[in-house]
Formats: sequence, C-alpha cells, structure tokens
Amino acid sequence: MNTVSIDGLGKRYGATPALDGLDLELGTGVTGFLGPNGAGKTTLLRCLATALAPDRGRLRILGLDPAVPAQRTELRRRIGYLPQNPGLYPQFTAYDLLDYVAVLKELTDGRRRRAEVRRVLDEVDLTDRARTKVRKLSGGMRQRLGLALALLGQPALLILDEPTVGIDPEQRMLFRALISRVGESHTVLLSTHQTEDVGALCERVVVMNAGRAAFDGTPRQLINRADGRVWLSTTAPTGSQPYWRNADGLYRRLGDRPDDGRPAQPTLEDGYLLLLHRSAPARVAR
Amino acid sequence: MSGWHVDEGLLADYDRGTLPPSRVLAVDTHLLACASCREQVRVDPVWLTGNWSVVFDALHEPRSGPLHRFLRRLGLPEHRIRLIAATPALRWSWLGATATVLALAVAAAYLGRGGMQVSNAVLLVVAPVLPVLAVATAYGPPADPMHEITDTTPAAGPALVLWRATTVVTVAVVMGVVAAVLLPGPGWYAVAWLLPALLLSVGTLALSTVIALPAAAGVLGGIWLAGVGTAVTIHRDSSLPLVFGRTAQLGYLFAAMTAVVVLTVRRRRLDPGETR
Amino acid sequence: MERPVDESSGDAELLGAVAAGRADALRLLHQRHAPWLRARLRRRCADADVVDIAVQDTFVAIWKDAHRYEATGADAAAWIWTIAARRLVSALRGPAHRWLGGVAEPLPDVATAPSAEELVLLGIEHGDLGAAIDRLSPELRVLIQATAIDGLTVRESAKLLGIAEGTAKTRLLRARARLRELLT
Repeated sequence: MNTVSIDGLGKRYGATPALDGLDLELGTGVTGFLGPNGAGKTTLLRCLATALAPDRGRLRILGLDPAVPAQRTELRRRIGYLPQNPGLYPQFTAYDLLDYVAVLKELTDGRRRRAEVRRVLDEVDLTDRARTKVRKLSGGMRQRLGLALALLGQPALLILDEPTVGIDPEQRMLFRALISRVGESHTVLLSTHQTEDVGALCERVVVMNAGRAAFDGTPRQLINRADGRVWLSTTAPTGSQPYWRNADGLYRRLGDRPDDGRPAQPTLEDGYLLLLHRSAPARVAR
Repeated sequence: MSGWHVDEGLLADYDRGTLPPSRVLAVDTHLLACASCREQVRVDPVWLTGNWSVVFDALHEPRSGPLHRFLRRLGLPEHRIRLIAATPALRWSWLGATATVLALAVAAAYLGRGGMQVSNAVLLVVAPVLPVLAVATAYGPPADPMHEITDTTPAAGPALVLWRATTVVTVAVVMGVVAAVLLPGPGWYAVAWLLPALLLSVGTLALSTVIALPAAAGVLGGIWLAGVGTAVTIHRDSSLPLVFGRTAQLGYLFAAMTAVVVLTVRRRRLDPGETR
Repeated sequence: MERPVDESSGDAELLGAVAAGRADALRLLHQRHAPWLRARLRRRCADADVVDIAVQDTFVAIWKDAHRYEATGADAAAWIWTIAARRLVSALRGPAHRWLGGVAEPLPDVATAPSAEELVLLGIEHGDLGAAIDRLSPELRVLIQATAIDGLTVRESAKLLGIAEGTAKTRLLRARARLRELLT
C-alpha cells in the first residue's frame, strides 16, 4: 500500500492556485520535493501535515483521510512535521520545548514523556544542549531541535519543509547525515532548494512546478534527462538556455549541441534546470 | 599496600556482603585510593541507564514558578499545567500590559473624581475588551509563533483552544475584578462589566469559526469600544446605567448563551485542518 | 571555546566541565563513579532503593556544587565519596525509612573519632588491626566505619545508623578504648 495517495489536490490563495489538481502516489523511504519558490511545495506539505485543508481533491495518508476529524486526529499521532518556520519559543530551553510538544503529542505520563524527550535529544545529538535556551542555539542546532520535535512520539511519517535552509555547510552535512539515518526507519517527505540534498538523501524525487508534479522518479532518472544535453563550449549561448562559465574558462551549456560543443557529465541540477525550462514552454523552442 | 589490588573474587564477596568486617574496610579504603580497582566494579547497564535518567531529569525539570504551584494545588494534572504555562498570552509582557491598562483606568477614575463621570467609566468600557485581547493572543498566528507545530499535534483542535482561552480569560477577569474593586463609585461597578466581558470573549471564539481569530477579536472589540465608548462619552450620565443596567445585562447574558450554542455547534472549525 | 570531554578525560577535567554546565561531562562521571559508589553504599545500607536514591542525589549535588571542587583541591574520588556518604544520610531521612530521628542533646562535634591515619598507625604499631576490628562488636564497629572510613561527623554517623547522637558519641569513645585494648 502507498504511504500517501494524492488525488486531484487543489488549493488557492485568492486567485493564485498553489496546488492545481495534483496527483501523486508516494511510497516509503525518503522522497524529496524540488521546485522553484511558489511551486506549491510548502502548500502540499502543509496539507499532508494537516495544518491546512485543501479546497478540492482527496488525500489518503497512512490509510487515513485527514478530512474526517477523527481520522485527522489519528493521523496527527503518526506524523511528525517540521515547518519551514518552526517559530520555536526563544525563551524556552530545548528540554522544556520538547517536554511541551511531547505533552501536545499526548505523552501525558511524566515518566514516559521524559524518557521520550531523552531519546530524541540523544537522536539529534543535543543532549548536551538540553538546558540551553532556544535563542542561544545556533541555526543548525535549532534545526536539529526542530527535527527532534518532529521525532517525538515515534511517528511513521516525517514531513520536513526546507530543513536544510539557512544553516552553514558543515552543519548541513551533519543534518543530512541525520536525516539519512532517520530515513532508514521512517518514511520521510522533505522539500528543498538544494539539488545536492536530493542527490545525497532521496530515493525518489518529485519536481513541483506551478502546483503540479513536473517530474516523478528516481534522482538517476532526473539526471538521465540531461543525457546528451550538457555541453562544454568556448562560446556563450545566445538564447535563454541556462549556462555558466567554469574554472577552465569554458561555458557549460544546457540544451542543443553548440558547434564546438564537447559532451559533459550531466548532474541532477542539469536535469532539474532542463526540466523546468521545458515545463515553461514559451521559453525554449525544441 | 602499593602492590595490592582488589581481585574479582574479593569484589564479588564484597558485593554479596560475605566479607569479614576488616576486609570490607580494606576494600572501602582501597577503592577510594585506586582508580583502576574502581573500574573493576561492574553494574548492570540497565541499572546505570535508569539511574542516570533520574539524574538527567532532575537537572532538566522545568522550574515551577508560583503560578505552577498554584495550579497544582488546584488539582490540575502536571501535563495540563505544562500546556497552560506555554500559552503565549501568559507572558509577563502580556500580564504587564493588561495590568498597566487597568491601572491607568483606575487612576483616571481617581484623577477625574468629582468631575465628569467619563473618567469613572473608562474602566467599565475598557475592562470587557481585555479578555478579548487575551483570547486573541491565546493561540494561533500571529501570537503563537509555533502554531504550525501545535496545530499538527493530536492535541490540536477545539479542546486545546478552549483550555487556553478559558485560562487567559480567567486571568484577565481576575485582574479586572481586582482593579474594579479599587474603583471609586457604586459597588456594582466591580461586577457590571463581567457579563459584557463574557459575551465578547465567547462571541470572539464563536466568530473565529468563521473568520481568523485576531480579526474576530478586532471586530467584536472594535464594535464594543466604538459603540459603548461613544455612548458614554456623549451621554455621560444617562448612558452608563443603560449600558450596564439590568435590561442590558439580561441581553448580554442571552447573547452570550447564543454564542455558546454557536460555538458548540461549530467547534470543529476551531481546527486549522478543517475546511472553512 | 569548549573543550570536548570523553572517556579519557580526568575526573578534575570533567568536574570543571560540569561546573561550566556540561551535562555530558556529568554523564561520564556517572558512568565512571556510580558503579563503585553503589557497591560501597550498599555495604552501609541494606535498602537498595535508598542506595539508588543516594547515588542519584550525589550526581545532582555534583551538578550543583562542581564549581566548589576546584577550591577544595582534594582528590576527586574522595570528594565525590564525601558527597555520596552525606547523601545516603539524607536519603535515610526519607519518610519511609527506619531512621526515627531520636531527639538528642546537641553535642559539639569534637574529634572523638580516630582518623584513618590513626587507625593505620595503630595497625603498623601493633600489627593485627584487621583481627581487632573483626573482634569489635558490630555496634561499635559501624561507628568506626562511619567516622574513620566514610569521613562522616558524629552527628551524621548517628543519623546513618539511626541512633541518638549522644549514644553515638559514647559508643565511639568505647570503640576507641576497646580498639586500643585489643591492640595492646
């Protein structure tokens, strides 16, 4: 059975559609959502996390329907959600914050709750910062604390919205390793701007564009879309194709072969850029 | 003594309590002096982890302030106190602001004494709005920056909203009563504003099933301030008994009961995951 | 800024880190010292639950008092043991325990107890100290143990043993006399 079934999901903010009849089936493992800003990633994750009700369409998550109140509550017991802006209370210590959210997650028995708080602190390697106030934690530590909050109560499904944003490269590596470890025992859905995150973490990648899924497959398949479409050339392209100049002074170009073009090794990013260019049909003529 | 160390057999006998007293003393003193023999003492890892977890919890136990102790005395369970204590409105900043407004209202009454009735009525007009402001900042955006996490936990929904709202309204009302008792003038002043406060608070919650909570609070609070405020300013002497008189109070009670019914029927919509 | 601590860090270093508010350092100390503290405390108190509480209290006390350690300059293990012995006395004051809190005349804490050094000297001087201790009656021996070996005051020893302070003082004097007698 699929972990998540999305059927014709739609959500508008005023006149702007954030989700435009999205259909998707998601399984276990780590799935990454890539896409430009405004593509609908956050709206989708918020709908899946039961923070937002869609205007139309149907959702089935872990066999439950979030539109039905009783099933929604049951679903919330099994989901851990780290929003893009978690807004962690700055005056709380890490421990107090976890303790508070653990109460919200129905861990009413003190002994069990404290054991669970200790467990997640240990899991994200923050045991030593348990008494530090949130406002004194670094960005990376705050993200780890956010992940710990999501992990409370051993949820079957983790939904992480841009978990690697705003943290320095070293912390990002640590955080990636952490998500990867968590992904071994949980189903993880994460959105990101970083194609490296997807390449490093995800078994599956969904590229969102304008409220729909523009691509759904493995990272390998996304890279393969750029096969024979990446070139090194001495001249810059004239059209709207993306390109940049590398350290050797050559232009790395995507799209049709330039006259003096030598084929280059495609990356996930190439596949992603080509895909977005294709799904904006006015820009690229094939 | 320098070459002598505690061996496993001796340690086992020590642990079982079968050693003669002098040997116990010898092991005692040796353990204190010898780090490597201390390391020989083994314990069940389960015991060690369990013992440590109690220590760890003792270090991290959130400090319980006076409010915490008071609530515990009222018989509230620990986990419920934790929820209430994290209510965004229960910050010192909020408490301070409420206290300041009330103090100013009382001060105005004293300063304007013998003069106009208006200053006397400031508290009566302002006090019912304070619980509304409290409700508006009890949960959800923008008062609660963590609302997205809160909203997606199994505790989210009407029960949590009502617990928090009740808590903050209680605090605001207690503060209001204290201020009203200090107010010069007829004794009924101290309680006259309670029913309007109840109506506005419950009404705000009921209205928040249709529009966002801060907007609901703004609408009802605004209507009250504009309507009653204007009436009291223009017709000082005549409007006060009218607005807070017996007939009006019955009206507030009836309207508040209606709001309770509306809230009960529509309470599911207090859940952010519900279609509006 | 913060030096990492691990299993190889010395006790003093760990205590320094604990004083700086590092819970991981306290955990290392707990792993290192809780086992032997438990073993030793069990020879002083038969109630395993009370011993467990005393061990826990010891580490909570270390957490709060670690900054005082530097000043004493004593051996860390000895310092920790002093805390543990006193925590056991406090734990015994728990409501469910046997100590009945007999009201005694407040006595000044004069050094009536023989020190550990004195015992050792006696042993060297007169030989068989072990045999003498074994022949001492249990009620006298436990007082020697509490004062000379565990480093408790007479008042604390009395609490640990559940006897009145005056009794403890009398018994200690008797113990001392008896020990000399046995050794000569």
